[in-house]
Amino acid sequence: MRREPQDAPDKGREAFLDMQEPLVLIIDDEESMRDACTQILLKSGYRIETAADGASGLQKIRDFRPDAVIIDLKMPGTSGFEVLENLKLIDPQIMAIVITGYATVDSAVEAMKKGAYDFLPKPFTPEELRLILSRALERRRLVLETEALRREKKLLEDNVITMVSHQLRSPLIAIQQYFEVILSGIVGQVGEKPAEMIRRARERLDGLLNLINDWLDMARIDKGQLVGKLRPLNLQKTLEKLLEFMLPLAKEYGISLELACVPGFASEALGDAETLEQVFTNLLSNAIKYNKPDGRVRISLKEDRDSVIVEIQDTGIGISQKHLPFIFDQFFQISRGASGKMKGSGLGLAIAKKIVDAHNGQIDVTSTAGTGSTFTVRLPKAPPGGASV
Amino acid sequence: MTKARQKILMIDDDPDFCEALTAILKSAAYEVITASDAAEGKKKILSEKPDLVLLDIMMDSLFDGYSLCHAVKTSKEFETVKNTPIIFVSAVKEIAGARFGFKGEEQGMAGPDDYIDKPVKPADLLDRIDKLLRK
Repeated sequence: MRREPQDAPDKGREAFLDMQEPLVLIIDDEESMRDACTQILLKSGYRIETAADGASGLQKIRDFRPDAVIIDLKMPGTSGFEVLENLKLIDPQIMAIVITGYATVDSAVEAMKKGAYDFLPKPFTPEELRLILSRALERRRLVLETEALRREKKLLEDNVITMVSHQLRSPLIAIQQYFEVILSGIVGQVGEKPAEMIRRARERLDGLLNLINDWLDMARIDKGQLVGKLRPLNLQKTLEKLLEFMLPLAKEYGISLELACVPGFASEALGDAETLEQVFTNLLSNAIKYNKPDGRVRISLKEDRDSVIVEIQDTGIGISQKHLPFIFDQFFQISRGASGKMKGSGLGLAIAKKIVDAHNGQIDVTSTAGTGSTFTVRLPKAPPGGASV
Repeated sequence: MTKARQKILMIDDDPDFCEALTAILKSAAYEVITASDAAEGKKKILSEKPDLVLLDIMMDSLFDGYSLCHAVKTSKEFETVKNTPIIFVSAVKEIAGARFGFKGEEQGMAGPDDYIDKPVKPADLLDRIDKLLRK
């Protein structure tokens, strides 16, 4: 698969590859100084903009996004220091060189502290100006290049999981599709024995696909990224949608599903819909699959002062006390025993915990072997007044 | 009843998957044409004017199935074929945890007419195709 990032083209990289000569902005209230610098730098092939005071200098920084700015520290009105401070907010990668008229070390040091790349005490020679500027621009080039590489690496990292997932799954899905076609009898009758073997092969592939999915999900959940996606969330809607989605599975296992919600419940959780759906899908499908025949699954939505609480209660085989502490661990699986056939990667609950943790929430379980288990997910409440999604 | 066989275009980059699906479609007497990437698919939608399109979401690039679907439904270039039903045939779980089908619509993308998960059940596929073609 070719990689074609969908994101906007990398700005830094683009600017860097842009063959235009660097643009230098000179901010100085003395016309003679602006002219002298302009003359010197034009000769070296730079593009030049000038501004006669700090305020218009800042405007030009915003409008033209120069590669470097030469700033006179001592100007009436907006001072060179103020320009420096604002420059850092507009684009920290624009290089600033300050001209210190009253050649004091103090102001030079202060300017450097405020983010200037270097300083040039008056009077200076054309050579000194050129040298400092070319060093600053070289520095900028390196910074931009590093930044571009870092972003490229990030993009690749973000997509690599999706790409790996696609590449691992594609051949398995092609095999499964052949099995489906063979088993359907479309391409010729299949004897009972070979059909049984193909069905079993198909199940093993299912297991492998689940393992791949879970493993990649595990790798994909990133707390830092998730926090940025948290929105006020109407969990009742989410759960209703999910219930409908789980109905076929419940029917297959002969389990009844029930959603109980406090009347007038309106609190919203702060969550990411996509990953939370994954948590509840996992808990619900466990509750259905590891239930008794004609069992029930009851989902309740509650709240306390700080949290929205979702309880998923089943009438299933339960989890013995000795297993409970490990239930959210990666690859922990209870051996088959009386519960009969179990399949799964052993990652489902570990993923659920990782997601809930990333929400600054909490997931717990209580269980009585033979009677059933209750999984409780607590999520922080959204501050009131936010728009729900 | 003598009726021209209905033509289905399948756009998917996996030749084996295409072969398996072709067997299903031919069993229901559809005429099948295939395209192995979005660009070829685009050409064939215009030149072959299929009655229905089966479209994989992830081919050469991450979501080019979405882009093609959106283009067919909305762009001038596809004006003459914009009503062609499109079914996404994809293992959508590949796409970051999406459990409920196409999220592309939320990003303002025109969605498909239906969606079916890979691997497809032959009866399910034929049923969905039949429903869309009867409209």
